[in-house]
Amino acid sequence: MTSIRNRLVVALTILVVLVSILAAIVTYRRVLDETSDLFDYQLRQMALSLRGQVSFAPRIEVPPDQGDADFVVQIWDLFGTRVYLSRPGLPMLNQVVLGYTDLSLRGEAWRAYGLQTAQGVIQIAQPLRVRRVLARAAALRVVVPLLLLLPVMVAFVAWIVGRGLAPLRQVTAEVQRRDVRSLSPVTVTELPLEIAPLALELNRLLARLQIAFRAQRDFIADAAHELRSPLTALKMQLQLLDRAPDPQARSEARERLGAAVERSIHLVMQLLTLARSEHIEVAAPPTSIDLGEIAALALADAGVLASSRDIDLQLEAQPHSIVHGVPEALRTLARNLIDNAVRYTPPGGRVVVRCAAGRNTTDLVVSDTGPGIPATERARVFDRFYRQSAATTGGSGLGLAIVAAIANRHSAAVTLADAPGGGLEVTVAFPTAAFPTVAFPTVAATPASSREPADADGLRLD
Amino acid sequence: MRVLLVEDDIMIAQGLETALRQMGAAVDWIRDGEHADAALRSTTFDVVLLDLGLPTRDGLSVLRDLRRRGNATPVIVLTARDEIPNRVAGLDAGADDYVVKPFDLDELTARIRSVLRRAAGRGDPVIQHGDIRWDPARRSVDYKGAPVSLSAHEYAVLEALLTRPGAVLSRAQLEDRLYGWDEPIGSNAVEVYIHGLRRKLDSEAIRTVRGVGYFIPKKP
Repeated sequence: MTSIRNRLVVALTILVVLVSILAAIVTYRRVLDETSDLFDYQLRQMALSLRGQVSFAPRIEVPPDQGDADFVVQIWDLFGTRVYLSRPGLPMLNQVVLGYTDLSLRGEAWRAYGLQTAQGVIQIAQPLRVRRVLARAAALRVVVPLLLLLPVMVAFVAWIVGRGLAPLRQVTAEVQRRDVRSLSPVTVTELPLEIAPLALELNRLLARLQIAFRAQRDFIADAAHELRSPLTALKMQLQLLDRAPDPQARSEARERLGAAVERSIHLVMQLLTLARSEHIEVAAPPTSIDLGEIAALALADAGVLASSRDIDLQLEAQPHSIVHGVPEALRTLARNLIDNAVRYTPPGGRVVVRCAAGRNTTDLVVSDTGPGIPATERARVFDRFYRQSAATTGGSGLGLAIVAAIANRHSAAVTLADAPGGGLEVTVAFPTAAFPTVAFPTVAATPASSREPADADGLRLD
Repeated sequence: MRVLLVEDDIMIAQGLETALRQMGAAVDWIRDGEHADAALRSTTFDVVLLDLGLPTRDGLSVLRDLRRRGNATPVIVLTARDEIPNRVAGLDAGADDYVVKPFDLDELTARIRSVLRRAAGRGDPVIQHGDIRWDPARRSVDYKGAPVSLSAHEYAVLEALLTRPGAVLSRAQLEDRLYGWDEPIGSNAVEVYIHGLRRKLDSEAIRTVRGVGYFIPKKP
């Protein structure tokens, strides 16, 4: 795991060392340049000061001057004879060069200045080493304090970073205190600009989690509550079966017991379906499928219930009403819509299922001749366990919640409206744009509004 | 005994109706709060079984209105809401008892007998009235120590008269105790049951006030 503090410390150390080296180089160069000018000037001044004394110079070699080894003085007379050498033994150039010149003697670099006078030539030479030593000393004077300061800087940086990251540790501690039961938001005030967005996003996530957890908890509570009714009926019918005074009462109790068992099974199955509807994509990959086939299968499922209630089922499917989805889920959706319609439609009524592909949507429409749903109640019917007032259909109250969950997973819109002949009309509009690769040759020529039964497949289930 | 059953779940209501009829009770079944309120304003019941989660109007609100009108009819709340605050709210709203679904039929009928006994101001669950000994829990009647076999309707008439000794009950009041709204009433049915009771017990056990009704003397 990378540590911001360690990375900063390493980076800063490297930076300080690099700066020190750079400063040393720059200082060395500048000091070298400056001392060069100075020494050059000094060489020239020395030569000039000796100008008047050339004629007095001893023509013989003087003993070596031990005191000042930094400078070497040579003097030639007009005939080119060396009349003076301050440090014998040093093989100086025999050729006189006037003005400044760089020499190399015995592997060492020298700087020399030659001056022409009326009596001869004076040459002053100095090893460059002297200048370098001075420059090096100056550079060291700059670098050493910088390097000595390095540990202090590292400690200081570590401390600053530590302080800077303290809010992060505080947020971490706060988050550590959270669990499923306490998803309260993290304190955001007084957080630095860099950490506040993280905390804000965390709070948004916590809020969403809290809503999800609450919904889950409510759902479990609701489900347990809803299970009580069929279980009450079960227990009661069992007791009535035990105490039935005559065969007729016994057979009635047995029949009702069976109905109560069926109802409990239905409720449990619907609960399972709802739970699965919210995680469809995990179960099966979506494919392109004709809504007409889905509707026909769902109608076949509802056939028994419909015929027992003397309700006419009708399918008007436009060919190539293709949608993109999970077939099993879509079949559940259609079955719940049809089941609902059949349950709420009085005997002798009719339930019509239409499939039609439009420009932007492909619609599944289920209409019935039942009592319909008042506009004021329409928003609530998608709630789990919501049943219409005085509803006595024995449904689970989950049908439309399942429809809504599956539609939501397919990005489809569910709308409730009054059917033309009274009753309820539910439209599930699947987006067409979501799968542009699927071609709709027949649909392009057909206006979306024409849903005449004449051009539809007439499948009837009685 | 006339029972108002307020329950929106068909299966539970059907079962309760059967069970109560087997007890010899006249049962009126109502599925929603508004109609329950209307029924309680127009008819006198011996006991009310009230579900709380009802369409159109909540059971608790119906109960509060009933008590506000000064009506002391015993009410047993039947509900799936089992949390303590709900029970407290139900009892505080005026319920005589609070039964949580899923309940046991035997327990429910015992609780019905219990609230009826308390409503009548009796402590002893078995009623001894002269030579008649009536045990509501076992639905048995003894006369002079010997068990008497009564039909369900005869039992219901005797129950109505024994619950308020000395009070004269008209034929219509007795019919109310025998039949729910949707049950057909035989023309001379009450007279037939009174006759049957006099034959099985004692001809003097039930007195007639001509043109008014019948009663069982306070102290025989």
